[in-house]
Amino acid sequence: MANVEGKATAITVVTPVRHGGRFLLAIVFFVGRNVTATLEKLQTLSFIHYARWAVIRRFPDGGKGERLGHTYLFFESNFNGTWDQYIDAFSEVVPRRMKGIWGTSYGFPGPIPVEPFKDYIRKNEYVANHYWSAYPAATTTEIVSAQRVARALDDFRGRAVNLDPEAFADAYRALLTEVQRDL
Amino acid sequence: MKRDKRNRSGQAYGLTVLTPVLEHRLTALAAHLDTFGPEDASPLARVAGTHFARWVILEDVVYEGGRQRRDNLKAPRLLFTSNFDGPLDAYLEALRTELGDDADAVWGHCAGYPGRADAAAFAAYFRAHQVQSALFFGAYGDQTVSEVQSNLDRRTRLIEFAMAAQGLEPAELQARFQAEFMA
Repeated sequence: MANVEGKATAITVVTPVRHGGRFLLAIVFFVGRNVTATLEKLQTLSFIHYARWAVIRRFPDGGKGERLGHTYLFFESNFNGTWDQYIDAFSEVVPRRMKGIWGTSYGFPGPIPVEPFKDYIRKNEYVANHYWSAYPAATTTEIVSAQRVARALDDFRGRAVNLDPEAFADAYRALLTEVQRDL
Repeated sequence: MKRDKRNRSGQAYGLTVLTPVLEHRLTALAAHLDTFGPEDASPLARVAGTHFARWVILEDVVYEGGRQRRDNLKAPRLLFTSNFDGPLDAYLEALRTELGDDADAVWGHCAGYPGRADAAAFAAYFRAHQVQSALFFGAYGDQTVSEVQSNLDRRTRLIEFAMAAQGLEPAELQARFQAEFMA
């Protein structure tokens, strides 16, 4: 059983949706896909690598699917940091969006205060039997920073190729100043 | 195809697969997943393009109590999710060929699994048990696994270079930089 691989943590949550809730979810996710504010807000939670929601009306069974009495809401996240920090951030930074999504599920206590919210997630969470990451030592911030550094390096290599040593040293210092926040 | 877009973020793809576990196989399946080690000891390390992936056994859905009517799955489900470099078809083929015996050892405990000998049947099985995402978020969905790893490596090298190159004369600085980054 392993929800942790290096610095990465997995969350897997499946919750029963109230009757009629799936229509609200369709709207919430339509807005999420088409209005960039939701995705940008998730971007500000700078420790999420990948996350997804899915609405399960029928559990796949190779045929038409197994239909239960309720629709189910599936959520997974891959993030760096601890479970508590993650739920705290969801509660503090995006409470309205969390309410919009999980407010359709039975038993959801609301994102604030955070303790009942944590109890709810714990109750509905499944522990991974096996979890894997290609770069377990890296945080999301490091990955996004490294991309900026790599781009700056590429740009610098193009500019620096024919400089004399003095001009090169100046350009090199300017490069370090440009990327210092990403190092 | 329009719904398939919801599984994508940049070039990254979010795959969610739920397969019914055969009766009396739950313990053997869990025991097998427990044998997988971390990092390179995981069979998922062999499947190029995988950023994060997990196997999770869902024995049943959660009952919230209160006004919710109780639901029960007819069969437990094995959840497999992956966040990988798209497209899906190439990845399913990579799962088949790179997981090899491990694919059969895991999904062989699931109803209807055709085995990995027949590529078309293998892909069809995953597609038939796929759950579409409602919202998929990637913080750096434009970066492949190899780009992430290469960028992280270049960032580390630049940090080490900057530390070592402090106080160098311009000509020496330029020569060392060219040897490190422009060779």
